[in-house]
Amino acid sequence: MGFQIDKESLIQPVAQWARVLCVCFICAALAFPCPAQTADSPDSSEYLIKAGFIYNFANLMQWPANTFSSPDSPIVIAIVGTDTSGGILDEVLAGKKVAGRPFAVKHLKRGMDLKGCNIVFVSASETAHLDEILHLVKNLPILTIGETPSFAQRGGIINFIVVDDKVRFEVNVEAAKQADISISSRLLALAKIVPQTDGSKVQ
Amino acid sequence: MKFHNLSIKRKMTLITMLTSTAALLLFSVSFLIYDLIAFRHFLSEDLSTQAEIIGYNSAAAMAFKDQAAATETLAALKAKEDITAAVLYSPEGRIFARYNRANIAKMTLPDRLPPADGFRFSGSFLEVFHVVSLNGEPCGRLFLQSDMSQWNARAKRYAGLLLVFMVCSDLLALLVSSKLQNLISQPILRLEDTMRMVSSRKNYEVRALKFYDDEIGRLIDGFNTMLADIQERDTALQGANYELKSQTNELEDEVARRKQTQEELLGAKRAAEDASRAKSAFLANMSHELRTPLNAIIGYSEMLEEEIQDSGRIEKVEDVRKIHSAGKHLLALINDVLDLSKIEAGKMGLHLEHFEVAGMIEDIVSTLEPTIAKNANRLVLQLSEDLGQMHGDITKVRQILFNLLSNACKFTEHGTISLSVNRATAEGQEWIRFRVSDTGIGIGAEHQENLFKEFAQADVSIARKYGGTGLGLAISHRFAQMMGGQIGVESEMGKGSVFTVHLPAHVTTEAAGTAKPKQLSGRAAAEPEPKLQPNTVLMIDDDPAERELMCRSLAKAGFHVVAVADGEEGLRLARRIQPVVITLDVLLPGIDGWEVLSRLKADSELAHIPVIVVTIVDNELKRADCGASSYLIKPVNRDLLVKLIEKYSELQPSTSGGGVPVNV
Repeated sequence: MGFQIDKESLIQPVAQWARVLCVCFICAALAFPCPAQTADSPDSSEYLIKAGFIYNFANLMQWPANTFSSPDSPIVIAIVGTDTSGGILDEVLAGKKVAGRPFAVKHLKRGMDLKGCNIVFVSASETAHLDEILHLVKNLPILTIGETPSFAQRGGIINFIVVDDKVRFEVNVEAAKQADISISSRLLALAKIVPQTDGSKVQ
Repeated sequence: MKFHNLSIKRKMTLITMLTSTAALLLFSVSFLIYDLIAFRHFLSEDLSTQAEIIGYNSAAAMAFKDQAAATETLAALKAKEDITAAVLYSPEGRIFARYNRANIAKMTLPDRLPPADGFRFSGSFLEVFHVVSLNGEPCGRLFLQSDMSQWNARAKRYAGLLLVFMVCSDLLALLVSSKLQNLISQPILRLEDTMRMVSSRKNYEVRALKFYDDEIGRLIDGFNTMLADIQERDTALQGANYELKSQTNELEDEVARRKQTQEELLGAKRAAEDASRAKSAFLANMSHELRTPLNAIIGYSEMLEEEIQDSGRIEKVEDVRKIHSAGKHLLALINDVLDLSKIEAGKMGLHLEHFEVAGMIEDIVSTLEPTIAKNANRLVLQLSEDLGQMHGDITKVRQILFNLLSNACKFTEHGTISLSVNRATAEGQEWIRFRVSDTGIGIGAEHQENLFKEFAQADVSIARKYGGTGLGLAISHRFAQMMGGQIGVESEMGKGSVFTVHLPAHVTTEAAGTAKPKQLSGRAAAEPEPKLQPNTVLMIDDDPAERELMCRSLAKAGFHVVAVADGEEGLRLARRIQPVVITLDVLLPGIDGWEVLSRLKADSELAHIPVIVVTIVDNELKRADCGASSYLIKPVNRDLLVKLIEKYSELQPSTSGGGVPVNV
């Protein structure tokens, strides 16, 4: 038993396969937009990747059991600060689900209540107010994701970095523990683990 | 060596081993194949599992596009020796990360990837495809390739194991079968030994040993039964052989006994023949002894009669005549008895020659003239013109007629005796018929039957009245039969009798020496004799009485007689005096008459002289051989002798050439 495609066989199955392949490609294209280096604009491609990463993060971690009221309760993502992605996050995550839960994207201003959120994306625009924001979510089961250098060291759980023109990420395991969020070892294996430092030091 | 000719032992061992090997091989190979297929399946499952693990481990790296992490994950496959290559493809189909085993050159990657999980065997490689997904979301594909070294190693290990296993089990099979085949081969081999022993030594008492009660056991039973049968038959055969031998011995004894008996019989036969010869010699001698004195009696009584008549003492003539006639009668009796005894002994042969019938009749009549005249009878001759020659034994024909005419004369007084002779054809053959009739006393019908039997005269009284032995008709009858003819009689008492003789004109017989008398007569006729001394007769006879009688008779007839007593003297004289006729006695002192005769005929000077053999010994064969001109039996009828001598001395060629035996 192999994948021999017999020319003699009917055309219909081939056509079906071809259709399936097309659908797959389209899906893949939607789920994983082109890498940054091949994208039209650096920003949009970068955010496409970041959007995919966020989705994968949601896939590879678990919130405390009582976080969601029902099994199909959405995972609420709050984008704090200026949406540097220009709506790409909304776009990418809109139709996606993790373990049956859809995503709900909120755009919030600094200082707004973050308690109902599950994931908080801190935009690069809020670099100056990191400590403040992080302080707000401290000890809450909220995954904090940032795109500012030393975001993780200052108490953020995951921080996007760019290494060799590729988007990578750092994880602050201590912060995750404090937030009572368990991160999959598979995710950790790919991440750069950074220690917690005192948030007083500002670059 | 062909399998068929192998010994049963080897065959059975081979069969066992082949069977076990084949079964084992079949089992092992099928097991191996099954195991290898199962193992392949297991391998594919295993590889699929590995693909799943690797896919799981690399899913996050794929999801986060972490090529280094993915490559690192794949590099962990180094621990798996059989995996030659591993490739992770991005969802777009691009190679995301890859792994190649160090010693394997860059492999060619499949250009198309199947969209779902699966495995395939490509050449000696096992290839597995796996869709890598992260929490159910596909994030790439994994391609794993294994060179199935485990499988190959396993196959090799199995093959080696199988080989060892086979060798071991074959050895075991050899061991077991070489032990177990004895169960079957041993009885057969023993049976074969027994058979060889039986056939080589022919010893049927041997029995094959039975081991088990199986088919071979039954075969051995059958063989033993057969042997028992053969033994029984052998014994029976030997018994029969012994019996046959003993019977053969008995037969041989019997043959020996018979042979002895045969020899005894032969001896007896020789003795009988000797006795018979002695009897014949005795008879011949006796007749000679009887006839010699009779000659004297008859001869002297004749002379005495003449002298008495001359002297005129007529009263004595009758007495002398009685002596003379009694002597003649006695002589006739002796001759008849001799003839009959010869006929009885089968020694009377036929001497066939050609002769004139009329001439013969004339001779007889002239001889019988006195007899005819005796009873005042008259003879009437009726000879047909065509009589001509007859081929037969003239002596016997003459004797038959002589007997019949004598009888007719004897039993007729003052009557007529007629002899008629003619030639007739009957039964495809020419016959001469002689008919003698008389007007005498005749023969009764009751006597006619026995008329031709020996010693049977019509009446006993006849013998007294008429004399005679009664043998004449019997002898005539026998002679006629010998020549192929017959004699018949018709008669009535008181009116006379008619005797009819039928003889073939050409008598045929196988009797030897029939040609000799013809030659003799032919030669006698062919040689003319010169007339030298017409009146000299040489007489060779040792009997002085005979010599004197002959001399007197011949002197009276005007012949000069020279008489000698022995053959040598006779021959000497014959050369000197050249006689016209020689009379020769057979029984002579020194050389006998036959020798003298043959010497005379061998001598050219003397061969032409006619020789008249005068003898008592009636040897017809010899007289035919030796070439005598005539043959007279003693006592000699002197008138006949004188007539003969006169005939020869006048140089009349003899055509009939026969002597006339005296039979009166």
